Amino acid sequence: MKKSIYVIALITILFSACKNDKKQTESNSMDNMQSQKMDMKDDHNHDMSMSESSLKEEKNSDAATQKNSTTSAIIDSYLQIKNALVKDSKKGASEGGKMMLIAFEKFDMTKLTDAQHIEYMDIYEDAKEQAEHIIKSPIDHQREHFENLSVDINDLIVLLGTEKTLYQSKCPMAGEGKGAIWISEFKEIKNPFFGSKMISCGSVQKQIN
Amino acid sequence: MKILRRIFFFLLIVLVGIQFIPTKYNISNQVLDTDISKTFTVPSNIQNIFQKSCYDCHSNNTNYPWYNKIQPINWLLGNHIEKGKKEFNFSEFGTYSKRKQKSKLKSLASQIKDNEMPLGSYTLIHRNAKLSKEDKVLIKQWSTKILDSL
Repeated sequence: MKKSIYVIALITILFSACKNDKKQTESNSMDNMQSQKMDMKDDHNHDMSMSESSLKEEKNSDAATQKNSTTSAIIDSYLQIKNALVKDSKKGASEGGKMMLIAFEKFDMTKLTDAQHIEYMDIYEDAKEQAEHIIKSPIDHQREHFENLSVDINDLIVLLGTEKTLYQSKCPMAGEGKGAIWISEFKEIKNPFFGSKMISCGSVQKQIN
Repeated sequence: MKILRRIFFFLLIVLVGIQFIPTKYNISNQVLDTDISKTFTVPSNIQNIFQKSCYDCHSNNTNYPWYNKIQPINWLLGNHIEKGKKEFNFSEFGTYSKRKQKSKLKSLASQIKDNEMPLGSYTLIHRNAKLSKEDKVLIKQWSTKILDSL
């Protein structure tokens, strides 16, 4: 009798303890990620005040897209997400998100000018978050984040350039009816915001390179 | 038998012991200059909705329930709050870049529209944090207006 009481109590405690352990390790890894992110944010905020004015100059002087191969890996991962969403593939988009995180990690920032670096960090911070959400979200959420990500990638191309020939297209129905842009390697319209439901909705706005 | 008994008491001691580990609280009495209400025009009815339904996990000031005093509940809640603040912090909205403010406001609107937020596990206990249809419409209108101005 006495024995069984102990056994039951023990099982209960163990069970709850195990559960906590799991949660704790999860939270530990979260903490690590957080502190990394905080460091980045701090750096970023430092230069915030000077960024606004210098950015505008930078943008104006770079009106034409410059040839730049360093952005290719990032753009490739973006196109992978885009093409997966065209095919309504949640899994493919998620893989593209992972590729993008790696591509950003490998990007060499040392070649950037100060002003470029500030805006790059701004784009990077946002794009990284969008990619992280694309990795773990259901497809309709992936598409919402892809909408933001498209703006980021478009800005990245304006800022740093690309060696690729790309097309900026616009779907007037996306973005809750406000319209949203995406970047494609094809001239032909294949809509990533709606996929097979409205595959040919949209039009090319401009050609890059 | 003896071993079982030993383990049982050991765990009991651990459980009692962890109650004495000092805890961190997410409480700040001042409204920071970077708070969303100081970054944008937030009408008081909208601000009240945010305050009662979102601020517990998405700001620097949590209104803790009594059971937060018990471990490991405090750790679990703390973890929740950390995650919530990382995603979106109303108290620090002003420190976000324009780009981030935009995408965060879009996410705010869509999360609320899709009933993803506030979390079901949260509204189960905090009944008054549940958003009414009217609340949702108000937030949608407000976020659209702000997004257009950005």
